[in-house]
Amino acid sequence: MLRFYLLPIATLSLALACGLPRDPEGTLDRVRGGTLRVGFVVDTPWVTAVRDGAGGIEGAIAAELARGLGARIAWTHASETPLLTALHDGDLDLVIAGLTKGSPWAAKASFTRPYYVDTTTMHGERAEVPHVVAVRPGENAWQVHVERMLEVRKNELAAMRHAALRSSAR
Amino acid sequence: MSVGRAFSFPPDKREAREKLRKLSWLSVASLMIAAVVVGLTVGQSQAMKTAWISDILTAVPPMALLVSLRYELREPSERFPEGYARAISVAFLVTACVLSMIGLYLLFDSVMKLLHRQHPPIGTIVLFGHQLWLGWVMIAALVFSAVVGYTLGKLKTPVAEELHSKALRAEADMNRAEWMSEGAAVVGILLVAFGLWWGDAAAAAFISIEIVRDGWKNIRQVIGDMMDESPTQLGERKLEPLPRRLRDEVRQLPWVKDAAARLREHGHTVTGEVFVVPRHNALGADELLEETERTAAQLQRIDWRLHGLMVVPVRALEKTSPPRVAQRAESRDAAD
Repeated sequence: MLRFYLLPIATLSLALACGLPRDPEGTLDRVRGGTLRVGFVVDTPWVTAVRDGAGGIEGAIAAELARGLGARIAWTHASETPLLTALHDGDLDLVIAGLTKGSPWAAKASFTRPYYVDTTTMHGERAEVPHVVAVRPGENAWQVHVERMLEVRKNELAAMRHAALRSSAR
Repeated sequence: MSVGRAFSFPPDKREAREKLRKLSWLSVASLMIAAVVVGLTVGQSQAMKTAWISDILTAVPPMALLVSLRYELREPSERFPEGYARAISVAFLVTACVLSMIGLYLLFDSVMKLLHRQHPPIGTIVLFGHQLWLGWVMIAALVFSAVVGYTLGKLKTPVAEELHSKALRAEADMNRAEWMSEGAAVVGILLVAFGLWWGDAAAAAFISIEIVRDGWKNIRQVIGDMMDESPTQLGERKLEPLPRRLRDEVRQLPWVKDAAARLREHGHTVTGEVFVVPRHNALGADELLEETERTAAQLQRIDWRLHGLMVVPVRALEKTSPPRVAQRAESRDAAD
């Protein structure tokens, strides 16, 4: 029976020692101190157009990721389908498009954990809409890094959303 | 002669049969819990999805067995004069179909994922305030499921032996082999952790093959039952020596000149015919009937599973007994 308990303990300690999980295509290592390739679709207030790049709540996510890794951002502005296809093929590292967990893309792309759960009214019923960003599928170290940042900055992102709601109400 | 009497288990086996019923319920319940635990962590990993479906599938044989247990002791009816003992074969048939079909589908799915070079995205999960990579949680769930399966297999084996229940023995083997599937999924997740994306789909393909193999074993059992195979030893393809024992027993009787036996399995029971050549052709009809009935009752006592055995007096038996079929597959089958 003992070996059943040894296995998870051994794997966990091994994981911490080796810096697991790793990226099959090395995205996190490449972005660190390099270029973060971000595709965006304007969807106010989640993604807004600012000069040649993106702002808004998810624009702030991309900026924060780049700042944390000492990377510069290369922006691509297009619609959802070409962006998510490029993300899948590895031509982009991150797509921000006001995506939600219930999107039809969820099964094909790799969405992060929700960074904010919006409450809206649809057809007279209250609905919870979890907001996510998309990373390149299978780049698990990169995905873990992005999700960790989203978890740490959760409160600030929520505050940005609430500020946007107040200004639109006024 | 019992044309319309149902088989009843001897008193010392009834307890084991009750245990078999309880074990089946326990299997269904614990495998469903394991399936829920694994299911909560599936995500987009193909290996996890396959291990999860495999968990659900292993609950099918005990369910089918529970249904057949309700039927097997029913009195024979006008429509089913042989009784319902073969309901167990129906359980095998259901299991065989479900496992083979779903196993093949999962194999196809996994191979397509490999060919399309689909990289499995595995993110994080927040558990008790800690943000962990979901892969580690998946491995923990798989280990839990493997322990459940292994324990069930261990519990079932002795009961299967006591009841000589092929259905339960097949289940026990399937449960015990389950750790290989879970182990493969663990290896797959570990490979993904090391950045080797193909580990996930490769592990899923391995698990699918295991499922198809389980299905194939059940198909072979069903075919054996359909072809009225002579009784075989539990968990093996070797023939039981029971027909020869019956023949030898009858040959020793003073009124018998020669005898031959032909047996087949009906679920948990064994039935068949014993052909007898009386020593004196001048044996009166009354004497012959009496001897035949007494012999049938005596033979019934040799093995508790014998039911509805027929003793048939014949004028003569052909010299040639059925030829032994070359058992080329025997050594290979004993291994799995």
